[in-house]
Amino acid sequence: MAVQHQQHLQHDPDTGPVDVLPLVRLAGVTKRFGQVLANDGISLSIMPGRIKALLGENGAGKSTLMAMLAGRFQPDEGHIEVAGGRVRFDSSRQAIAAGIGMVYQHFMLVEDMSVAENVLLGQEGGFFLNPARMRAVVGELAGRFGLGIDPAARVGDLSMGERQRVEILKLLHRKSRVLIFDEPTAVLTPGETEALFDALRSMSAQGKAIVFISHKLEEVLSVADEIAVLRRGRVEGEFLASEVSSPADLARRMVGRDVLLDVRREAVEHGPVVLSVRDLSMRSVGGALLDNVGFDLRQGEILAVVGVGGNGQQPLVETLCGLTPPESGQVELLGESWSRFYAGNRWKGALAWIPEDRAGLATCRGLNLTDNLLLTTRQGFAHGQWLERGRATSTTGDIVREHNVQPGHVEAQAWQLSGGNLQKFVLGREMFREPRLLVAEQPTQGLDVAATEAVWQRLLDARKTAGVLLVTGDLSEALLLSDRILVMYRGRVMGLFPASDAVQVERIGALMAGLSG
Amino acid sequence: MILIVSKREALPGRGVLVVYLGALALALGLCAGMLLLAGKPALGGLAVLFQGAFGQAHSLLDALLKAIPIFLCSLGVALCFRMQIWNIGAEGQFALGAVGATWAALSFGGLPGALLLPLMFLSAMALGALWGLIPAVLRLRLGVNEIISSLMLNYVGILVLEYLVFGIWKDPASFGFPMTSEFPAGAQIGRMGASLGTGLLGKLHWGLLACPLAGLAYSVFLGRTRLGFELAACGEGERVARYARLPYGFLVLLVMGLGGALSGLAGCIETSATLGRLQPTVMVGYGYTAIVVAWLARLKPWPIAFTAFLLAALRVGVEAMQLELQIPAAFGQIMEGAILLCVLAGQFFLTYSVRLRRPAPSEAPS
Amino acid sequence: MSPELVVALLAATVQAGTPILFATLGEIISERAGVLNLGVEGCMALASFAGFLVCHQTGSAWLGLAAGGCAGALLAGLHGLVCQVFLGNQVVSGLALTIFGVGLCNFLGTPYVGQATVGFQQFAVPALSELPLLGAVFFRQDALVYLSYLTPVAVWFLLWRTSLGLGLRAAGEMPAAAAAAGLNPLRLRFLGVLLGGFLCGLGGAYLSLAHTHLWTTSLSGGRGWVAVALVIFAFWRPGRAVAGAYLFGGIMAFQLRLQASGTNVPSSLLLMLPYVLTVLVLVLSAARARSAHGRGSAAPAALGVNIEPEG
Repeated sequence: MAVQHQQHLQHDPDTGPVDVLPLVRLAGVTKRFGQVLANDGISLSIMPGRIKALLGENGAGKSTLMAMLAGRFQPDEGHIEVAGGRVRFDSSRQAIAAGIGMVYQHFMLVEDMSVAENVLLGQEGGFFLNPARMRAVVGELAGRFGLGIDPAARVGDLSMGERQRVEILKLLHRKSRVLIFDEPTAVLTPGETEALFDALRSMSAQGKAIVFISHKLEEVLSVADEIAVLRRGRVEGEFLASEVSSPADLARRMVGRDVLLDVRREAVEHGPVVLSVRDLSMRSVGGALLDNVGFDLRQGEILAVVGVGGNGQQPLVETLCGLTPPESGQVELLGESWSRFYAGNRWKGALAWIPEDRAGLATCRGLNLTDNLLLTTRQGFAHGQWLERGRATSTTGDIVREHNVQPGHVEAQAWQLSGGNLQKFVLGREMFREPRLLVAEQPTQGLDVAATEAVWQRLLDARKTAGVLLVTGDLSEALLLSDRILVMYRGRVMGLFPASDAVQVERIGALMAGLSG
Repeated sequence: MILIVSKREALPGRGVLVVYLGALALALGLCAGMLLLAGKPALGGLAVLFQGAFGQAHSLLDALLKAIPIFLCSLGVALCFRMQIWNIGAEGQFALGAVGATWAALSFGGLPGALLLPLMFLSAMALGALWGLIPAVLRLRLGVNEIISSLMLNYVGILVLEYLVFGIWKDPASFGFPMTSEFPAGAQIGRMGASLGTGLLGKLHWGLLACPLAGLAYSVFLGRTRLGFELAACGEGERVARYARLPYGFLVLLVMGLGGALSGLAGCIETSATLGRLQPTVMVGYGYTAIVVAWLARLKPWPIAFTAFLLAALRVGVEAMQLELQIPAAFGQIMEGAILLCVLAGQFFLTYSVRLRRPAPSEAPS
Repeated sequence: MSPELVVALLAATVQAGTPILFATLGEIISERAGVLNLGVEGCMALASFAGFLVCHQTGSAWLGLAAGGCAGALLAGLHGLVCQVFLGNQVVSGLALTIFGVGLCNFLGTPYVGQATVGFQQFAVPALSELPLLGAVFFRQDALVYLSYLTPVAVWFLLWRTSLGLGLRAAGEMPAAAAAAGLNPLRLRFLGVLLGGFLCGLGGAYLSLAHTHLWTTSLSGGRGWVAVALVIFAFWRPGRAVAGAYLFGGIMAFQLRLQASGTNVPSSLLLMLPYVLTVLVLVLSAARARSAHGRGSAAPAALGVNIEPEG
């Protein structure tokens, strides 16, 4: 159903004058990174007063495309037009000058500076700074667009939603005409997401062109006017949001096949309790990190911990996985107290942890795969002080084959592996430890569909011998895999219920935002 | 023209040699320039340098002797650098080693060599290790930057040595010169002369044996033992260490202790075998050269041995320049600094490839 | 101690603290821009000679000062080249810079050892020098000391009240944010390194032009390293750098005075004082940074991390 963009506009009575020129036009833009073809002959038009969603999975080439628009890369082939004229951006500054602004997935904010300083960075309008005036300018701007924020606040103290507002203010101050948002809702609560969408609609009503990059179908449908689907670096389809009948319809267009994801989830008999947490609390200078957290986890079940990032998931995982001792309350792992369990330091048949940061925490980028295997399994390959490298190498080879890790040789260094392959390797390594308790943090973040399916299947298989604690920000993942769901907000357990409890599941959004009523 | 920088897939084998030779040539050029600046003959000066360093058998032998302390200190430094612990304190640990050895030699002078020498080694290594452990403990307990604390302890260590030599350890028969009395025969490391004949090789002393032993221990430890693996993994960062339950704190203490002990051993050998007494001239900056060596050799034992010898030869060559052309000894430092800077810059080409590309006509700036 | 002695000691404190103050402020600029320059010692050493040489040849102390600053900036520029352009390790490059700079200073300076130069002379500031106590301590000094009173304010103003300073700090906290704002973080960092090196050079030049008026080798004597430590003590803020620099000036002046008075304490032990004090100061700053009051005492977030090319 890929139809030419202009034709749609002519058919649609709501778009205003038919002869509106696109603010930005991409003409056959191609970008390669070494062997990888990130963008392949992409042509798109971005219209003023419209919200265009760029839908695609991770690795489909969305971010590369936008980085070229923002002047961070130059296209290898094709060109970019702004307001009808051909341009070439050699730097971010030129893109900004042309009116293209970008809100990155990872905010480009200096945490140690104030909101006003961040907004005006690079746009101070003079060599000497007047802090009072800077605050006034930013405060006035925030007021004009209804984005409530204290211009004097230190960005490091702000919530993710507030930081996003700072990013938007940066663009508004620069009078950007095209505002590009890269996965803007990933860090927001459902309430903050709604507020963001309102802001997007109001900016678009004022004539700004909005580009909304996402892989979340429902969001795209609720906010976008037009949708372009990107797959493997190519535009696979472009259509109006009103033409899409359902999220499933959109999913089919995005993935290019009918069934989105297929995991076989058969019930597994529940075994003994492998993890028991009672009244666990942790404090920091700023307040409570964990506040009377309590739950049990049995062998054979998956318990999903959901919540917006930064609401206590990290301190919880770090305590369970032995990095920080519990401040108050009890944690029992496999029937042993925390201190006894971690004094024993068993590598096998105990606990395995798949951290969110697979490239910086779970593996060493400068070490080869054998050494990365040894990272958590070295006790299994040691005779006293001596290390059996030969055996470790052959085991690594087995894992690489069994989990289809590419490139398939054990001498490869971790940094040479893609995210998906690295995750498969980490999973293979951790399962090699035959854990009875598995902690998995955001295990499929940034993976393509095939890798996601593989990871999900492994997690479900792990239930046969272990209890799985799945910490995720992806609700659909939680609903698909878990037996029970635990919602966290500001270090508290807002709810703990079976995933089959439709009434409670309906309330997850409210619970994540701290509304218990 | 556009400069395109991209990360290399793998390190090229022969490329390493090319890069190092290029960097070396650049550094030599820079140093020749400095000679001109000081009004000395540039090419002639470098010729004297090479002639002095590699021209005769005895200069090579001299270099080998100087390479012993450099090699030992450098192994210790490399061990710490592996873990990203920036131990700049080899010089001070070396000084404390010399002090420890002297203490044993002066206190137990009556013991036979078979007992006294091991005792000197032991006390030298213990004091060196202690000096290395101070920054390690400060870092672990309080988060004090080990670069500056270990460096400050260099100054303090050298002053401790001077305090002793100018004060309570001064030989009454030295006519006021700051030096201890000569060590008893049992406290002096013997020359190999007895077994190798009276030829040139006879100048070598048994302290040389410490090098292959330490080098072997270093590579076996890092390559074959669990602790050695844990050390290398810790070098990837403290966060990974916490995830993998590596004994990070213990390893910091271990490498700083071992590093200090190795430098202390070097101080002991230099005092006992080369000078036969303690005097301030024992401090000639081997501890700083060791850092240059460790980094140039990318922390690998065989390259460390080779580079230690090379920089020792450089020192011998600079001595010849001093004699023949009255070029200040600091020329050696300039060379070390210039080589390290050039190699550091050159290592860029080992990780990144740079290509020049002509912009396509369609991409001409608008 | 007599009052005169105290005043003399305090005045000597200011003099001894001045070169450290210049160097600490220079390193603050460099580190605020994200570049750890451990070559301060080398910059100071080379600058002390450059300052001496130019003053010796031209007879102009101000030309000597300018030469010192430029020598410091030049050497720091080498560090910038190795680390920012060629992405070398900042710690190792800084060390190499120190070895190179100190070597160069001693190599070029050897023929001049023992020669004197005019340099800067002390003069009383009208009116201010008549203030009780303060006048004698602060306002009967040389021009460089007076310059050093203004420098912390200037550095503060540069970093917190100009757009350049905002950019410099952004390059040190989060280069990607600076780049996204259309700034060139690499260029900003290079500028920070050069400016920092220039100030370190002023500190070095002070040593030969105002402190000794006489050329000897190894004039810097570890002051550069003290400055690096003081940056941590100062929590990267110019105001606290003043306190740190005078603390060290005090201990150095005290130690010199004690030596001159013919005390029984061996000179080696006295000479240890500043170095031991450096370690103590580091311990104290680390303890404070760890305490609840430690907010805002952290190093710039991207300090020592090179900007890698994309693609």
